[in-house]
Amino acid sequence: MNNQRKGLSALMITLSMTLVLSACGGGNNAASNDRTAANTPAEGGTVKLKVYAQHFDDDTKGPFDYAVAELKKEMPEVEIELDPAVQDGNQKLKTYAATGNMPDIYFTDWATLQTFAKSQNVEVLDNYEATTEYKNSLNPGVESRLIAPDGHVYAYPDTGIEFQVIYYNKTIFDEVGIATPIKTYDELAAAAGKLKAAGYVPMSIFAKEKWITSAFYNGLVTREDAAGFGALDEQGLTELPQAFVSAAEEMEKLQQAGLFDANATNTNYDQASSQFYQGRAGMFVNGQWEIYSSAEKLGDQVDWMYWPAKDEATYEASKYNIAGAGSPQGYAVSPASKNKETAVKVAAFLAAKSAEYKYTQLGSPIVSPKTDKPIASDVPVMMQRIADELLPNAKEYAKLLSNTQIQNAVNDNTQNMLVDGFTAEDFIANLNRTLSKENQ
Amino acid sequence: MNKYLGNKPALALFLLPALLLYSVILIYPVLQTVFRSFYDWDGLSTAAFAGLANYRELFNDPLLGTSLKNGALFALVLAVFQIGLGTILALVCANPRVRGRKLLKTAYFIPVVLSVTVVCQLWIAMYDPTNGLVNKLFDVLGIPYQQNWLVSPTQSIIAIAFVNAWQFMGYQFSLLYAGVKAVPEDYFEAATIDGCGKWRAHWHVTLPLMRETFKFCFTIAITSGIGAFVQMLIMTNGGPGTTNYTLTFMIYRYAFMESNYGYACAVSVLLVMISLVATVVINKVFDRGQHA
Repeated sequence: MNNQRKGLSALMITLSMTLVLSACGGGNNAASNDRTAANTPAEGGTVKLKVYAQHFDDDTKGPFDYAVAELKKEMPEVEIELDPAVQDGNQKLKTYAATGNMPDIYFTDWATLQTFAKSQNVEVLDNYEATTEYKNSLNPGVESRLIAPDGHVYAYPDTGIEFQVIYYNKTIFDEVGIATPIKTYDELAAAAGKLKAAGYVPMSIFAKEKWITSAFYNGLVTREDAAGFGALDEQGLTELPQAFVSAAEEMEKLQQAGLFDANATNTNYDQASSQFYQGRAGMFVNGQWEIYSSAEKLGDQVDWMYWPAKDEATYEASKYNIAGAGSPQGYAVSPASKNKETAVKVAAFLAAKSAEYKYTQLGSPIVSPKTDKPIASDVPVMMQRIADELLPNAKEYAKLLSNTQIQNAVNDNTQNMLVDGFTAEDFIANLNRTLSKENQ
Repeated sequence: MNKYLGNKPALALFLLPALLLYSVILIYPVLQTVFRSFYDWDGLSTAAFAGLANYRELFNDPLLGTSLKNGALFALVLAVFQIGLGTILALVCANPRVRGRKLLKTAYFIPVVLSVTVVCQLWIAMYDPTNGLVNKLFDVLGIPYQQNWLVSPTQSIIAIAFVNAWQFMGYQFSLLYAGVKAVPEDYFEAATIDGCGKWRAHWHVTLPLMRETFKFCFTIAITSGIGAFVQMLIMTNGGPGTTNYTLTFMIYRYAFMESNYGYACAVSVLLVMISLVATVVINKVFDRGQHA
């Protein structure tokens, strides 16, 4: 009886362990698997390509649908099957990679491209003819959007280098007597005081998302170090450079001056933007892409301003430093695609046509490839200012920070800067600890 | 009965599907997590063996202290509020002389069936420092205690834990109510005949006889607190900064934000170990003196 019980137990354990170990040994070499069933050439020479791209609102549907319609004219044999991307930090795409189900073409960012490059889930596009053509078509200054820090090309970008600006409500500023442009931190702090006294939120910010507090801080840093966060990605750098220390101290002063709402770190985009659009906030910080919404909601009441600096001389010297860094992103190709050559051509085509739509239909000059077609729509005045005033004079773009751990530490600590009791010293100590760990 | 249990091949045959299922959905992931915790792995590339490096890094990680403290606070709030209040309400509702008992029992359980997201959004609005109900309530009562509930680095974790405690109190209440009803009324009546007051009889008779129920309730409350995640994600996204991090939030950060799956596995192993230790301790505490 005892032996029988032991035998039965042994059988059960053996079965369990066999199952476990066989699964443990199951390799996951993404490149070696046969997948992408959607791209099997069908009858009549049609090539089906599965494309994973954002397609959930007018801003994302417009460019993609336009590009696909143009593709039909240029490459009628190609049939696109859209797999709409979800806003999940690319987890769905990573799951596709882990399970060997990568789409032929996918749109993704630099963080994911780095992981995919290591795991061979992205085709290196360096030697394709389409890449040479794409390089030649780039607008000046946006090379970092196409060519990764390691020198390779992994994706074809449509947008150019995006950046953050400060929007302000001209009517509210006139009402409370704030002169524009605000050039110095002291002027910004004084403006915050006036707005607060008049019952307005001085600057609405959706600081529940950490990237925006980080972007605000980067705006201050780039007044004195045009490279911005890129300067932190340097081997051997274990302490924050002076520009970062000064920016942290200024951010603390601005917070203490009441620039941000007390509940800012718990405010999301919808809440922050509605504060601004309903005339309850004097300023709003976001990327240049907000121009379309703000022009639509506030008309000529709204404008954007350059980032203030410690004094007027620094303001004038640094106003054309762009507070945005170009990181590689765009349409990438899976190495496992059965129609890889076609997929590469289509990826480049989709990116170029998406950019063309953004330029011609939306009037956005923030695109990577040049287009020879004219703008076919009314361009908001604020965007026209960017095209005429900022971009032609742009001195330097911020540099890319590729280290995720340092970026996360910056995100966490800049969000903390909006909370009472968290000081610039805390910020500096925390960042120095991360830099020591990551850059040594 | 012995005849059935003696038929080993049949026993094995019937157990096999359940055992396989259990292995696939529980044992395999746990073993894989332990295995992967010794590797430097981004979730996609070939993993490189790292020995104990992930664990060494984990014990020097400043987030660990924050997460352990928050987990302990969360668990404490759940245990005190859910089990403390749940027990009182269960005893009240078990009293046949209390009117509207059915209505109360249903009312306590309603938050349990609501979506966590809905409940969190509701409480975000209630915690709003300017227009929220909680601050308004203090204002109306004349108590000068206006707080920025979800922004304060010291209070926000307790405020968030309270949301979880409020929502799932009804679940604990239903378990405790079943426990109270399982105690034979004769014991309670005997105690009252011997001169015990109602609450004294509950203290000396009902509650000790609910030992097994309490053991289960505490296990659920403490392990839920240690592994809390959803409420932080929805209400503060772990912030400001990392002040509302728990071990599960650490796993989420390292695995899904930093693609550092090997390290996230090490955090997972620690989480499982702490939960196991907590379960064992709770069992020991409640078993103590039971067989004396």
